[in-house]
Amino acid sequence: MAEVKVKKEANLSDPAEVENRIKELCHQFPQGITDQVIQNDLPHLEPQQRAMAINKLLSLGQLDLLRNSSGLLYRLKDSQSTSKMKGSDNQEKLVYQIIEDAGNKGIWSRDIRFKSNLPLTEINKILKNLESKKLIKAVKSVAASKKKVYMLYNLQPDRSVTGGAWYSDQDFESEFVEVLNQQCFKFLQSKAEAARDSKQSPMVQRNSSFATSHEVWKYICELGISKVDLSMDDIETILNTLIYDGKVEMTVIAAKEGTVGSVDGQMKLYRGVNAVIQPTGLVKTPCGLCPVFEDCHEGGEISPSSCIYMTEWLDF
Amino acid sequence: MTAQEVRLCGLLLHEHFGEVVEKVGTHLLRSGAQNLRTIIHETGLSVDLVKKSLMVLVQHGACLFSSGRKGPGSPTEYRSGCDRILRILRYPRYIYTAKTLYGDTGELVVEELLQRGHMTMSGTVKTVADRLTQNMEEGRSMDYSEVSSAFSKLVETHFLQRCPKLAGAGTADSTTSAIPPTPESFPDCYKVPHMTLVGRGKRQLAAEDGEDQRNAKRQKMDSEVDEGIYWQVNFERFHLHFRDQAIISAVANKLDQTSSEIVRTMLRMSEVTTSPAATCTKPLSANEIFRSLPASYNIPRPILDQYLTLLVDDPMEFVGKAGESGGGMYVVNLHRALANLARATLESVVQERFGSRSARIFRLLLRKRHLEQKQVEDFAMIPAKEAKDMLYTLLSQNLVQLQEIPKTPDYAPSRTFYLYTVNQLPTARMLLQNCYKTVANLIERRLFESKESKRLLEKSQRIEAILASLQASGAEPEQLTEVEEMITAPEKQQLDALKLHINKLDSAENQVDETIFLLESYVNSTATSTV
Repeated sequence: MAEVKVKKEANLSDPAEVENRIKELCHQFPQGITDQVIQNDLPHLEPQQRAMAINKLLSLGQLDLLRNSSGLLYRLKDSQSTSKMKGSDNQEKLVYQIIEDAGNKGIWSRDIRFKSNLPLTEINKILKNLESKKLIKAVKSVAASKKKVYMLYNLQPDRSVTGGAWYSDQDFESEFVEVLNQQCFKFLQSKAEAARDSKQSPMVQRNSSFATSHEVWKYICELGISKVDLSMDDIETILNTLIYDGKVEMTVIAAKEGTVGSVDGQMKLYRGVNAVIQPTGLVKTPCGLCPVFEDCHEGGEISPSSCIYMTEWLDF
Repeated sequence: MTAQEVRLCGLLLHEHFGEVVEKVGTHLLRSGAQNLRTIIHETGLSVDLVKKSLMVLVQHGACLFSSGRKGPGSPTEYRSGCDRILRILRYPRYIYTAKTLYGDTGELVVEELLQRGHMTMSGTVKTVADRLTQNMEEGRSMDYSEVSSAFSKLVETHFLQRCPKLAGAGTADSTTSAIPPTPESFPDCYKVPHMTLVGRGKRQLAAEDGEDQRNAKRQKMDSEVDEGIYWQVNFERFHLHFRDQAIISAVANKLDQTSSEIVRTMLRMSEVTTSPAATCTKPLSANEIFRSLPASYNIPRPILDQYLTLLVDDPMEFVGKAGESGGGMYVVNLHRALANLARATLESVVQERFGSRSARIFRLLLRKRHLEQKQVEDFAMIPAKEAKDMLYTLLSQNLVQLQEIPKTPDYAPSRTFYLYTVNQLPTARMLLQNCYKTVANLIERRLFESKESKRLLEKSQRIEAILASLQASGAEPEQLTEVEEMITAPEKQQLDALKLHINKLDSAENQVDETIFLLESYVNSTATSTV
């Protein structure tokens, strides 16, 4: 026992040993250790020595300094990333840190400048450097086509940047959306017709003509017309466009948590509907669709008497 | 009284009453209330003509007179309103409705009253009987009692009403209000005068003597019981009927036949109990509805309850639940139904005019009220370039409005939110004006077409007259064919084409009139309701 104590005391005086001890502690707790843990382990270590050891490890880039709700956390840095940063100076490390923090949404070069307070030329040089080292990459944002956001090389860009399932290479795939639109509508329509032909009581008829968003999603997945995996939210956006086309209506019902397809205790139901009125009388005349309606006066160049659209329509 | 309305009224007056009345009518429409001297001076017509035109307009209810602005004793002023004259466009629809409800007799009664404006009951009955008798076979004639019963039925269901008595210009009545009294303010508005008309319809004889005889007889019967009681067509009632029909057909389209029958029953039951400007009908209990359903629809009671629940749950909100007593109290939401129908009309116009994608954007904006451009693209799933193009087209046609919300006190474009929005009521008004212009265009085109082929029409008329006279005097078939061949084949083709064109234009006017009716009812309903 005395030997152990002596050993420990011998360890304490050597700063390298302190650092090693701290590193071992970090290995033990991969999520990170607080100052408290180090203090508990090495009770006789003075706060100054502890601080010195930690600072040394940080500057060597072997320790990561994080902050959580209870205080500061020290975490062992990934050995791979430490090797990457060798040869980069502090500015690059700073920029890299900022980009890493931005996660998979990426960050714009102007924002990097704000966060790091470095001049623009420096930033551009550093970004080029990091790109050549294959540490970061530039992704074109779909919202503003000229804007480029930077993110770590191996991260998948977030949906808001690439546009999600509807965009392939920054291009909006309108035919794909149209096809999905029509398929969903056909599904709902056939369901409604089947319900109508079943000749049951009206309540049952109406309820059976409803389809949950989950059912539609399953149907579309089984159809296999999509190369990309579509989530239920994607299908719901498609169904919303059908609502805006006036072909489908939606209700929300309360569902038990845990039933398939329910989100927060609610389920969305969709149903194909018919139009409320026939195309209105005004559009059955050429005037209703005339592109030069505003310029038409009696006695002018464009007038009812000489209207070519009317002539065509009358001879139809 | 927009320019389009005045133009359309002018065309209608010209067609139905002639040029002189048109001049006086449009002058009154444009200048508001005026007295006789001013009208004569400004239209440049003779006193006689102006007086007669004013008489015609008053007879048809298109013009109202009241004592002048400077108080009683000053010359009467004449005022005209667009609404009444625009009803002329709807006459075919009124006549057709009367025919479907009350048969040929009802149709002719309404037609006579529409043509004459105001008429006594006895006069109407006699004329209608005569007309019906003419079309019947030899030896049969129409009994007055049948026509009177049709007349009474029309009055009972409020389709006809008594004309209100207007105070004469001379009577210094301090209680006369500036607004002329409505027909409903008279208690016996719908009371049929108690008289029995005995007689049968007279066939019109070709000989002159018959007419003289009839004239003599008419003078003897002149001292009738209903002297001074004039009847007119109650347009508001017809409009309520049209509105009910529109709601029923919308329900039939959206749901199914049985639901529309239920709504029809509910509306029929509240026909006379609901005021014209009401937001919804009086509440009806499910028991009452069940009892009043037509006998052919024997749906069991629970099924009826289910249908009613479905109607209430429908997003279109045609029917609402007002309480639980009596098995559930249900009302028909009239104003909301009108708003939905007007909305569907707007959407259909956008769809036909600009395509289904623009219609998608339009419906999206109607639902979500205010949206930014980016949000419009996202919700409607339309590529950014095309969405921008469509939005700008809709904006240039004034169907969509732009709302600016500044972030800074100076309206710097880069720091302002631009939101697209659709206001249903102003857009409906704008479309209504477009409808008026369209109808005016159609009428003008029709007149133009007839004018172009005037020569041809006159020729065909002459030949028809010759044919008729030859047939009456008993000519041989060869003579007839000779006369018929006076019209060459291409001319006949032209005539047929012309007839086709005119019919097409006519029916188009009626179709646009349906749109006008929906939009007008919607605009009027929002004017009166506080919701």
